[in-house]
Amino acid sequence: MKMALMPKKPFNRAPIWIAAVLTVLWLIILHLDLSFQTLLYGYKDLFEYFGRYSSPDFSNLSRYLVLLWQTLAIAFWGTILALVAGVVLAPFAARNMTPNRVVYRIARELLNLMRALPDLLLALIFVASMGLGPLPGVLALGIHTAGFLGKFFAESLERVDRGVIEAIQATGASRTQVLMYGGWPSIQREFLGNSLYILERNVRMAAVLGLVGAGGIGLALNASLETFKFRESAALIIVILVPVLAFDNLSTWLREKLK
Amino acid sequence: MTNCFQLRWPTRSGLPPFAPVLSVGVVVALLAWSAPVAEVNAGHLYASIPRLIDFLRNILVMPDWKYLPQLGQKMLETLEMTFLATSIAAVISLPLSFLAARNTCPFPALFHGVRALLSLVRALPEMVWALVFVSAIGLGPLPGIMALAFVTVGFMTKFFAEAIEVVDQRAVEGVAAHGAGWLQVKIFAHLPQAWPDFIGAIMYILDHNLRGATLLGLVGAGGIGYDMIMSMRLFDYNRILVIAVAIYIVVTALDRVSDQFRARVI
Repeated sequence: MKMALMPKKPFNRAPIWIAAVLTVLWLIILHLDLSFQTLLYGYKDLFEYFGRYSSPDFSNLSRYLVLLWQTLAIAFWGTILALVAGVVLAPFAARNMTPNRVVYRIARELLNLMRALPDLLLALIFVASMGLGPLPGVLALGIHTAGFLGKFFAESLERVDRGVIEAIQATGASRTQVLMYGGWPSIQREFLGNSLYILERNVRMAAVLGLVGAGGIGLALNASLETFKFRESAALIIVILVPVLAFDNLSTWLREKLK
Repeated sequence: MTNCFQLRWPTRSGLPPFAPVLSVGVVVALLAWSAPVAEVNAGHLYASIPRLIDFLRNILVMPDWKYLPQLGQKMLETLEMTFLATSIAAVISLPLSFLAARNTCPFPALFHGVRALLSLVRALPEMVWALVFVSAIGLGPLPGIMALAFVTVGFMTKFFAEAIEVVDQRAVEGVAAHGAGWLQVKIFAHLPQAWPDFIGAIMYILDHNLRGATLLGLVGAGGIGYDMIMSMRLFDYNRILVIAVAIYIVVTALDRVSDQFRARVI
């Protein structure tokens, strides 16, 4: 076969991309002054260190369970707070439900702002201004995840079929009625799925809110690690792990069922 | 003729629908039950309003301009940590995801094992791992990167595996019919089809990790969070707002960039 009849070999850009990414990574490692060699040299020390976690000490279990219960309560309250705020904001942030462009932009930017500030940062600010305790944690989780839920709900609303909305508008329904009878029935599955996902995430995050003094089990973990009580830390990690895993599986199963 | 102006519920019986009412009732009962545990009460909230206003007045001061170069430095460090951790995780996740996908894993038992391991890795947030790694190898960005990469492997492998599971089996058979080996089938049939989803997952995780990296400093694992908690503890009020605004700007910027990128690829 003559070469001219062969199709031109497509230009493969993959090596260029890989080279560029590797160069950037190498520059980052140089700039951050990381030395992975120390990790290799010290791997025996690391094994010894992680060996200290091998026999968890459950002598304070009752206290841990009280803290765990508080953690779950924070997650639950935070999620419900986010749910309420998200539901209120979502219709304004959905392009097909919003009264006008200005309101739409304001609602979108508000949701962006809530999402952009990480929950621990918000918790830090609330703890500094309201004092220690679980309440700042609830507020931080609520505000941060309201940004996510509001965005998810708004996106679900935007996917509602135009025909459905027009049909309900044709009956002379007001904007609230369109939302109730056109929007809500179409998005309720996604609504439940997203809410479960956020609840699952909040259970996980509530476990670390204690690091900044916002209640829950994180504070005990931090304290035990700072005082080198590794056996207590191991017990605490297990106490956190069990409900998180249980909840993860439950919510995954429920979300599968909703589909 | 029935009176159509009568207020009634839009159900067949005209009574409130049972399931939603029950679930709302259960939620409200749970809220009431857990309120004292979460210390949610209107009195506390009301009493803290003046302190919140006081705090806001404190942080709404002229920013400390001399701090800006250090802020830029720390922000760059945060971004670098995010990028490095996500890349390390991607390199580990790519081969692992073929074992975690039902249609490419050679042994069913291995598939279940990998999935269970991944859900264990995902269970704890990166902050907990950062705490553990900081206490193992000391302060600095390295434990932060390790913690981020570790948790990210759990999420990324799951996303990758889900993308691999939905590839078109006909392309796989087509490539295999040419006598391609196991690895060649994966590279030329599975990978190209799952690629857009991979990029989407990576971009989503990059966003998520940037948020995570801004916080790792709270436990001394590098990044902007360290400056945040220090200025909070030392009452350097003229820095707090600048840091918060910087985090907002960087997170939003990456959000927009990744949205654009994702829209182009998919």
